[in-house]
Amino acid sequence: MSAELTAELASLREWVADRAKDLPPQGLTDDLPLLEGRHLTSLHIPELIQFLERISRRPIDVENLRPGDFRDIRTIAERFLEAS
Amino acid sequence: MTAADPTLLAELGPVGLSWWPGGHVALSGPLYQLAEDCDRAFTALASAWRATPERHPAMIDAATLQEIDYLHAFPHMATFPVGMATDEANLAAFADRDPLDATGAVRLTRTAPVREVLTPAACYHVYPQHRGEQLAAPRYVTTVNTCFRRETHYRPLRRQWSFRMREIVCLGSRAEVTGFLDAARAAVDALCRELDLDVAWRTATDPFFRPASNPHYLAQRLHPSKHEAAFGDLAVASLNMHEDHFGAAFGISRDGRPSSTGCLAFGVERWLYAVTRRHGADPANWPDLPAAGHRAASAIAIAVGVF
Repeated sequence: MSAELTAELASLREWVADRAKDLPPQGLTDDLPLLEGRHLTSLHIPELIQFLERISRRPIDVENLRPGDFRDIRTIAERFLEAS
Repeated sequence: MTAADPTLLAELGPVGLSWWPGGHVALSGPLYQLAEDCDRAFTALASAWRATPERHPAMIDAATLQEIDYLHAFPHMATFPVGMATDEANLAAFADRDPLDATGAVRLTRTAPVREVLTPAACYHVYPQHRGEQLAAPRYVTTVNTCFRRETHYRPLRRQWSFRMREIVCLGSRAEVTGFLDAARAAVDALCRELDLDVAWRTATDPFFRPASNPHYLAQRLHPSKHEAAFGDLAVASLNMHEDHFGAAFGISRDGRPSSTGCLAFGVERWLYAVTRRHGADPANWPDLPAAGHRAASAIAIAVGVF
């Protein structure tokens, strides 16, 4: 994992941790289902898209979003950060 | 813009279908009875949850609908009931000339403030009806209404400005609503098997205005909450998970948290399309809808443990 990706991933974890609610006892993990578990809601999504665009320096076409793309931190990172 | 679909009208006209090019149908004779029987089949399914029937007006208060931000999300679909300001001078100005222009459009004079919307879905009344309730158990409701949605084009039985919608609604915990939606999907499958209708389930999104910037549209793409039973390319029923959208907006709670809600919706005219495309235009060949509904409900009632 590159230093750049490590920094982006840390930044993503911090962004989610600042907003996630009703976390389980083990806290926020990279495989915690964010939308399915209602830890993040639909109202967070536009801001998360903007955040990902900013840290990855790539636009996200919402018409290319697929079910599960924002499932958890690991999936988000694989889908939107790793190829940058 | 409308597509009259002359083949369909030629086939179904003799059994009671009339098309109003504005986007409405009139039903009489056998096709009217088939519509009634479709609704009996749906209410039979609702009995699997012992759903409480409710009857609501076709209009809904705009301020209430706006509590869930409907008019920002779907302005292009809204239909408003308009009346004229009732002062004598205004009414005289209207009445003293031809009320219609050359195209048939009404030449309105000054209008009264518009405070209501012709309801775009049957279930929208249910949530404010239960405003503030603290649910001790899941609540199941069924209601039917004439619904109104502006569209870019209309086709008889498939896409209409006004149409009948029957819904079965669950208000409860997230687990209770998820369980309801799972059973509701099985109920639709069972009914379609009884009727020999071939349907396929697909995920769907609602037709939001400016969807790319609407968080609810984005959520539907990322975490599908709407599933449709499609007969060919036509959705005849939909399952919708609202999460706590309505529960939070209207103060409905379950176990100390905003209630989740979900609904199963049937478009009655679309079932007329599906049944007549599958079984033909001759009423003698149409299946017994209420009996099919009761058989499907019996299987589902056992599965959901109501009886």
